[in-house]
Amino acid sequence: MSDLDYKKLGFKCGLEIHQQLETHKLFCNCPSIVHDKNPNIKIERKLRAVAGETGKVDAAAAYEIKKDLKNIYEACSSSSCLVELDEEPPKEVNKDALEIVLQVALLLNAKPVDEIRVMRKTVIDGSNVSGFQRTMLVATGGYIETSKGRVIVDSVCLEEESAKKIEKKDDHVRFRLDRLGVPLIEVATDASIKDPEHCKEVASLLGMILRSTNRVKRGIGTIRQDVNVSIKGHPRVEIKGFQDLKSIPKIIFYEIKREVSEIKSKKKIESHVRKADPDFTTSFLRPMPGAARMYPETDVPPIPLEKEFLSKIKIPELITEKAIKLEERYKLSPQLAQELVHNDDFEKYVNQFRISPELIAKSLIEIPKEISKRFNLSTEKITSSIYQEVFKALESKSINESAILEILTDVANGNILDLKKYKQVSTSGIESEIKKIVQSNNKLSPNALMGMVMAKYRGKVDGKKVMEIIKTNL
Amino acid sequence: MFKLKKNIIPNTNIKIITNDARTFEGLVLPDTTDQKTVLKLSSGYNIGILNKNIKDITTLKKQISKKTSLPKLKINKNLPTISILHTGGTIASKVDYETGAVLSQFTPEDIVSMFPEIKTLANIESKLVRNMWSSNMNFNHFNLLAKAVEKEVNRGVQGIVITLGTDTLTYASAALSFILEGISIPVIFTASQRSSDRGSSDAFLNLYSAVKFAKESDFAGVAICMHGSSNDDFCHILPACKTKKLHSSRRNTFKPVNTTPIAKVDIDNIEFYSETHHKKRDSSKLKLKLLNPKLKLGILRFHPHFQSSMLEPIKKFDGLILEGTGLGNGPVECVDEFTKENEKTLKTIKALTKNIPVVMTTQCVFGRINMNVYSYGRKILDSGVWGNHTDMLPETAFIKLAWLLSNYSKDKSKELYHENLRGEISERTLYNE
Repeated sequence: MSDLDYKKLGFKCGLEIHQQLETHKLFCNCPSIVHDKNPNIKIERKLRAVAGETGKVDAAAAYEIKKDLKNIYEACSSSSCLVELDEEPPKEVNKDALEIVLQVALLLNAKPVDEIRVMRKTVIDGSNVSGFQRTMLVATGGYIETSKGRVIVDSVCLEEESAKKIEKKDDHVRFRLDRLGVPLIEVATDASIKDPEHCKEVASLLGMILRSTNRVKRGIGTIRQDVNVSIKGHPRVEIKGFQDLKSIPKIIFYEIKREVSEIKSKKKIESHVRKADPDFTTSFLRPMPGAARMYPETDVPPIPLEKEFLSKIKIPELITEKAIKLEERYKLSPQLAQELVHNDDFEKYVNQFRISPELIAKSLIEIPKEISKRFNLSTEKITSSIYQEVFKALESKSINESAILEILTDVANGNILDLKKYKQVSTSGIESEIKKIVQSNNKLSPNALMGMVMAKYRGKVDGKKVMEIIKTNL
Repeated sequence: MFKLKKNIIPNTNIKIITNDARTFEGLVLPDTTDQKTVLKLSSGYNIGILNKNIKDITTLKKQISKKTSLPKLKINKNLPTISILHTGGTIASKVDYETGAVLSQFTPEDIVSMFPEIKTLANIESKLVRNMWSSNMNFNHFNLLAKAVEKEVNRGVQGIVITLGTDTLTYASAALSFILEGISIPVIFTASQRSSDRGSSDAFLNLYSAVKFAKESDFAGVAICMHGSSNDDFCHILPACKTKKLHSSRRNTFKPVNTTPIAKVDIDNIEFYSETHHKKRDSSKLKLKLLNPKLKLGILRFHPHFQSSMLEPIKKFDGLILEGTGLGNGPVECVDEFTKENEKTLKTIKALTKNIPVVMTTQCVFGRINMNVYSYGRKILDSGVWGNHTDMLPETAFIKLAWLLSNYSKDKSKELYHENLRGEISERTLYNE
């Protein structure tokens, strides 16, 4: 990727990040859960280009109501109400979402506007039942420091997530409404990103900052990056649909190569939107939408951001800073520290129990991971009260460190926590038993013998000592 | 008028530099006050900036508004004429994306540019009768509407569509159906629950269906045309005197009470539910029997812990509509040490009926009045309250009583109140799911 001189090419690049928040929906009290259960609500609507919007010429032609595409909306009562169905006006802006977006704004050094005005951005592809997306500009003039200098954050917005398109046929498009109305933060940078690697760095920094609030959704589809790129002689192209951050530099690299050859071909080039493909190239998606058609959402009153309210917004500690602190204070591996950042219980347990922080960290992070990976079990049942019991037993040495995996697997399987089962057996007490196993299987390797002993006493004995006894008896 | 800070003039483009060194460029919007400036930024977003936070303002080049006038409508001689009478509100509103303001449009050209498909149905005439919210209307406005209808009828239009806010639409439809005696063409009320500035508005289907029904059906009289479901699939034509707004926000808010819809209209078809329901187009002569705007009528609801003093001010009124419990009952019996107030209530009602009509309706919404069933019902009936065996909505009873008192003697009013004049009373209560 080094055969392009981005500076010479007049490379311009800006980033837009959309991140879903972990709160209820933005304008109603529906939980923002996205699930695939059978929908119990189905409505059919027609959405029209509102007169004046498409201009004078097609105003007459575009409106043959008969030929209009039908939008079919499916919803579950558990995650949608009349607000999503465009059958009830929006309620006031979700206070939690507003607080989170202000936290993000402050982390990005952006300044909140004096008064937020909720807008309706016209969207006629059906993904918003109302025909518009509610959105608001919350802060401007921010920046982040990167390895290649300062990148300006032009705007921080709060908006509603759209409905998910699940089917497109000749006469209809089918949508699911569970996602509609989930609060979404939009962070947009200026076009000062220097090169493809830098773009990845900026995306990763912005993602980290968003996650630092600890109130954003995690998982596939909960954060989306849109990259705008152009070079001298080529108009702006927007790329959507990056699968992960790693793919960003490669995709931009190939896109710039494409733009270079497109300029050479002397074809007429227009600004447009492209989709990131799995092979790191991009393909045409649609023409660039015109200037956003926005008008006020009159059902929601303006929101003044008074000094007093703003002064109460707590700026969260950045994940990177918190991880370094944990790493140093408790002598943890950087990876483990990173994962503990969002675990509020860790430090509580460290203060409560006289056992090693590393053991607590492993029990909270690595062991549940192993359980779900190795046994394909959900670790939901391993609650903080289970951890309390287990750590208490570890502290009093009534169970052994090696029993933790067994105990937690048992709990994950739905069994009642029974620590007696794992009561530590003194190695001297079973020495004769080990001897017997070794003698009757003397052709086996120490590891195989170890397996046999542990099958019998798993979790109840200290493995290291067992191995010692095996070795002395061979 | 607010005293605006120098250079902050609505509809001009300005550049603001704030005390914290941020620059904002945009159009000054009319909701700017002496406290804050509301700007539409080039991104489309509106924001409010406190005037005390503004350090510097520069006026930018003046915006040239690109207002183009719509071409005049051509008359299609093969199509009949439908008149649309507007009373303002959201059904004819359009967004000005330059300022973000929602503007009301009422000329025939405006209406056709917003709802182009109705041009294929008929030649459209359009008049603004009054620009106001339906909640602010009174008898004067219903009379204005009736006179506007008369004018159109005399011009020989095929049908009339009236747009009105949904909130008091059923009062208006009931009023016009009484006032327009002998109407021989369809007069169809329509409205929208979602304003027409949004792509999802119910206005498109509602207005289309209303115009289609007014043009094509043989129906004569007043009716309401609104969404039949939450889908954009069909509209119901509903009886003017037996329809209630039953939901504060849904599209299919209007439901017929103690009857069925008259017809179903979709893009292609009109289907009547029952042929007996309606009067057909004929050559009868329209005679306006207007409401007397000086009349004072009230609606009161019986409820537990009812205070007889609620009825006192009614003594100065011309009529009272009671919303009784159940079959037309109310707290009028003294049965223990706690219910002495009830006796006073009955006494006050008796005193009222000596001078003014007091009529009974039910707060149940559905069903008929029968004050013979319970002893307290009989006491109310014996006190001189009208309306036994009727099944009118309180809204309709209110309009009907006002109309009767406007046009007839008290005795004649009493007789006619119990007769079905415009489909407001059903003779038999039919079983409807």
